[in-house]
Amino acid sequence: MHNVSQSAAEQVRRSFLGGPDGVSEWFQSLDHKRISLMFLAWTAGAFLLAMILAIMPLVKAVGGRGLSAQLLFETLTYQRLLHVVAWLVPAIPGIIGFFLLPLQIGASNMAFPTLSRCSLRFYVVGLVLMLGSLATYPVGSGWTLDTHLSLLDPGAFGVLMVGLFFMGLSWFLTGVNFIVTVHHKRREGMGFFDMPLTAWGLYLYSYLLVLSGLIFGIIALYMAASWVTTEGLFGWKSDPMAWRSYFWFAIRPVTYFAMIPAVGIVSDVISGVSRKASTGYRTMVGAMIALTGIAVASYGVSLVGQGLSPAGTLIFSALSLLAAVPVAIIAITWLSTLYRSSISCSSANVFCNAFILHGGIASLLGLFLASPAVGAFLGASMFASAQLDYIIWGGVSSALMAGLHYWWPKMMGRKYSDDVARIGAVLYVVGLNLALVPRLIMGTKGVPQDLAGLVDSSLRLAEVSSFGWLCVYFGLAVIAGNLLVTIWGDEAAEENPWGATTLEWTVPSPPPEDNFS
Amino acid sequence: MIGSANLSAWFPEWGSTHAPDVDVPFFDIYVVTVTILILTVGLAVVFTRTFTRKEGDPEQMPAVGTNKILLGLGVVGAIALAGFAFQTGLSGFVGQRVAPYGAFEVSVTAREGVWDFTYPDGHVADTLRVAVGQPVHLTMTSQDISQNMSIPDLRVNQTIMPGHTTEAWFETIRPGTFPIRTGAFSAATYDSMTSVVVSLPAEEFAAWQAAVGDIFAGRTMAEVGELLYNQQGCKACHSLDGSNLVGPSLKNVYGFEFLTTTGETVLADDAYIKESILTPNASVIAEYQPVMTPYAGILGDQEIQAITEFLKTISDRGHTGGQEDK
Ligand code: HEC
Repeated sequence: MHNVSQSAAEQVRRSFLGGPDGVSEWFQSLDHKRISLMFLAWTAGAFLLAMILAIMPLVKAVGGRGLSAQLLFETLTYQRLLHVVAWLVPAIPGIIGFFLLPLQIGASNMAFPTLSRCSLRFYVVGLVLMLGSLATYPVGSGWTLDTHLSLLDPGAFGVLMVGLFFMGLSWFLTGVNFIVTVHHKRREGMGFFDMPLTAWGLYLYSYLLVLSGLIFGIIALYMAASWVTTEGLFGWKSDPMAWRSYFWFAIRPVTYFAMIPAVGIVSDVISGVSRKASTGYRTMVGAMIALTGIAVASYGVSLVGQGLSPAGTLIFSALSLLAAVPVAIIAITWLSTLYRSSISCSSANVFCNAFILHGGIASLLGLFLASPAVGAFLGASMFASAQLDYIIWGGVSSALMAGLHYWWPKMMGRKYSDDVARIGAVLYVVGLNLALVPRLIMGTKGVPQDLAGLVDSSLRLAEVSSFGWLCVYFGLAVIAGNLLVTIWGDEAAEENPWGATTLEWTVPSPPPEDNFS
Repeated sequence: MIGSANLSAWFPEWGSTHAPDVDVPFFDIYVVTVTILILTVGLAVVFTRTFTRKEGDPEQMPAVGTNKILLGLGVVGAIALAGFAFQTGLSGFVGQRVAPYGAFEVSVTAREGVWDFTYPDGHVADTLRVAVGQPVHLTMTSQDISQNMSIPDLRVNQTIMPGHTTEAWFETIRPGTFPIRTGAFSAATYDSMTSVVVSLPAEEFAAWQAAVGDIFAGRTMAEVGELLYNQQGCKACHSLDGSNLVGPSLKNVYGFEFLTTTGETVLADDAYIKESILTPNASVIAEYQPVMTPYAGILGDQEIQAITEFLKTISDRGHTGGQEDK
C-alpha cells in the first residue's frame, strides 16, 4: 500500500496512505482519512455479514426445509439490526463524512481528532458485542425489539442491547464532531452558503445523529435493565407503546432520513460529472433543512398500523406528507442541473440515476403509507419493510456508490475500470427491483413485515425475489471487487479527473496527511 | 398506464366491505406515482444521454439559477399530490374505525399463538365464525405479547397489546375461510397464521349458532356443568383440586356442612348451592370475603342444575349427603 507512485510533489508531502502502515498505526491513527477507510472496512464487513444472514430467509422462502422457526427469527433479527444500526446509519458519515468533510471545507482534520477515533472504536465495540450475542445466545425477537417478546427472549439480550448502546454513542460522537468541525474549521472566507452540498447534508444529518444517538443509546440501556429485572420503564408491566414510541422516535429520523446526506452526495456528484454548478444551491439547502425538520416531526408514521391511535395516525400521516415538497424541489433541481450540462458519462452517473430511481420509489412509497386507510392496512406488512429495503439497499447504497466512484480517484489515487463498474451497476439496479417489487406485492397480500417469505401462496413471487437478490449480490461483488483491485494495481488517477471545482480536488491524490498547508 | 394490466397482482380478492376503502386509494396513488416515477427517472436518463460532453464544451458550463416557474409548479404539484394521497385514504380510514350500530359483538383475547373469540352468548371458540353480510365488531386485548390481528382478505389490521383494548370491525361479502396473521416473531405463530375467520352464509351461520348455543345438546348434565365452570369464570376463584383460592375449592362441597360468618352451619344441598350462585352474599362462608359475583339473571335453573350435578361428581358425598335431607 505504500508504493504509491513517487511523483515529485509526493516525495515532499507524503500521502496519508504512505506513512507507517502497521495494524497498530492504523488503529491509533487520528487522521480523518485513515479513520474513513477503517469505517469503510468495518461497515462493509457488517454489510457483508448482514447479506450472508439474509440468504437464510431466502432459502426458506423458496421452500427450504429443516430451518427451525427460532433460527429464522434469529437470522432475521440480526440481519436487519446489522443493516440498520451498523450500516445504514454509520456508513455515509463514517466513510464519506470522515473523508470529505474536512477536505470540502478546507480543514486539516476534524475538530476533535480523538473523538473521531472514539467514534470508530465505539462502533467496533458495539459491533463486537452484537456479534458476540449472535455467536453465543442469539436473540430472536425481531429487530424492533418489541418489549414483551424481548423480555421473554432466552438469548443474550442484555449483551446485544449494550452493543446497541455503543452504536448509539458512536453516532452521537460523530454528530458532535461534524457539527463543531463545520462551525469552527471552515477555511477563512468560506461561509455556510459556500459549503458544497455534501458538507451541508452531513452537517444537517449530524443533528439527527446527535439526537438519535443519545436517545437510542439511553433507551437501549434501559431496555437491557428491564430485561434483567423485568421491571422498569420497559418492564413486564409497561405499556408496549412506550418502547415502540421511544424506539421509533430515536430510529426513524436517522434511518429513513439517512437520505439527507445521500442527497448531498448525489448533488455534488451530479454537479461534478456534468461540469455545472448545482442549480438552485440555496433552494437545495432549504429543502435539506426542511427534510431534517420533517425527519423528527414525522417519526410516528412508523407506528401507523402498529398500535398508533386513529388521531395519531392522521396527524403523523399529514406531517410525513409534508416531505413531498422538499423531495419535489430536489428532483427538479437535479433535473435542471443536468439540463444543458456537459456530462462525462461514467458509472458515477449510473449510480446517480439509480439513486433517483430508488430514492424516488422510497419517497413515493411514503405516499401510500401516509394515506390513512392504506397505511393502516399496510403499515405492519412487508410492503412497509420493503420501503426500508429501498432505503437501505437502494437509496443510501446507490448514493454511497455514486460517491465512492466519484471520489475513489481522490481517496486512493487510483483509477478503476469504468466499464466493469457499469456492468455491476446494471446488475445491481435490475436485481434490486426484481427483488423488492415482489415484496411490495407480497405485502399487499398480507405477508407480515420482516417475516420474509413465510407464506406459501406467494411462492412464485418469493422465487422471483430470490432471483433478484442473486443479481444484487453478484452486482455488488463486481462493484466492490472492481474498486478493491485498484488498491494493488498501480494505475494512478489524475488529480482532478472530473474538472470539479470543490476544494477537495485541489489537493494531490491521495491527499497528503495534513490535506492543505 | 404501465402495470395497470397487472393491478390484480396486488392484494387478495375482496372479502369485506373494507376492501374498496383500501384498494381504491391504493390504485389511485399507484397510477399517479408510477407516472411521476417514469417521468423523473426517464428525464434523468434522457438528459444524461443527451447532454454528454462534446468537443469544444467549456471547462465549466455556465451556472444558471432555478427556473422559478418550474419550481413553483413543483411545489404546488407536491402539495396537491400530498393532499390527494391524504384525502383519498381518509374517508375509508374513518369508516373503518366506526363500527355500525348493532354489530355482532365478539371479544377477542389473544395469547402467544392462541385466540379466544367470545360470542355474545358466552360461547368461546378458537376460530372466528361470522355470517356473510353481518357487521362484526371486535374488542381485543392480549394477555402477553403485542401482536397484530391482520386479516388480509378482509383488509383488517389492528394491533393487540397487553393493557390496551383495541377495536376493529368488518362485514364479509362472501363465504370463505380467511387466515388471520399476527406478524409476531414467535415460534407459536411460526407460520404467522394462527387462526382463521370462517365466513358462512347467513342460514348456515344461524344453524351453527343454534348448535353451539344449545350447550345441552349431546352433553350429560355434569358435562354441561363443567363447561359452565370453565366458561363462566368460576375457575378464576374456585379450584377443583381442594386448594382454596379467592373462594373455597369446589371439591367436596356438595353434601358437606359449612360454617358461615354469622356462626350458623349450613348444609350444601341443591337449594343452598343454587342460593350461593344466584345471591352469594345471602350467606357467606366463614373466613371468606363476600366478593363472589352474583349470577342471578346470568345462569338459569337448568344451568344451575347442571353445575350442581357437576359438583356432585367431584364430591365424596355426591350421592349420599344432601339428597336424603331434602
Ligand atoms: C370473584 C370470585 C368468585 C367467582 C367468579 C365465583 N365465586 Fe363462588 N365463591 C366465591 C367466594 C369468595 C365464596 C365464599 C364466600 C361466599 O359464600 O360468598 C364463594 C362461594 C361459593 C359457593 C359456596 C361454597 C361453599 O363452600 O359452601 C359455591 C357453591 C360457589 N361459590 C359456586 C360458584 C360458581 C358455580 C361460580 C361460577 C358460576 C362461582 N362460584 C364464581 C368467589 C367466587
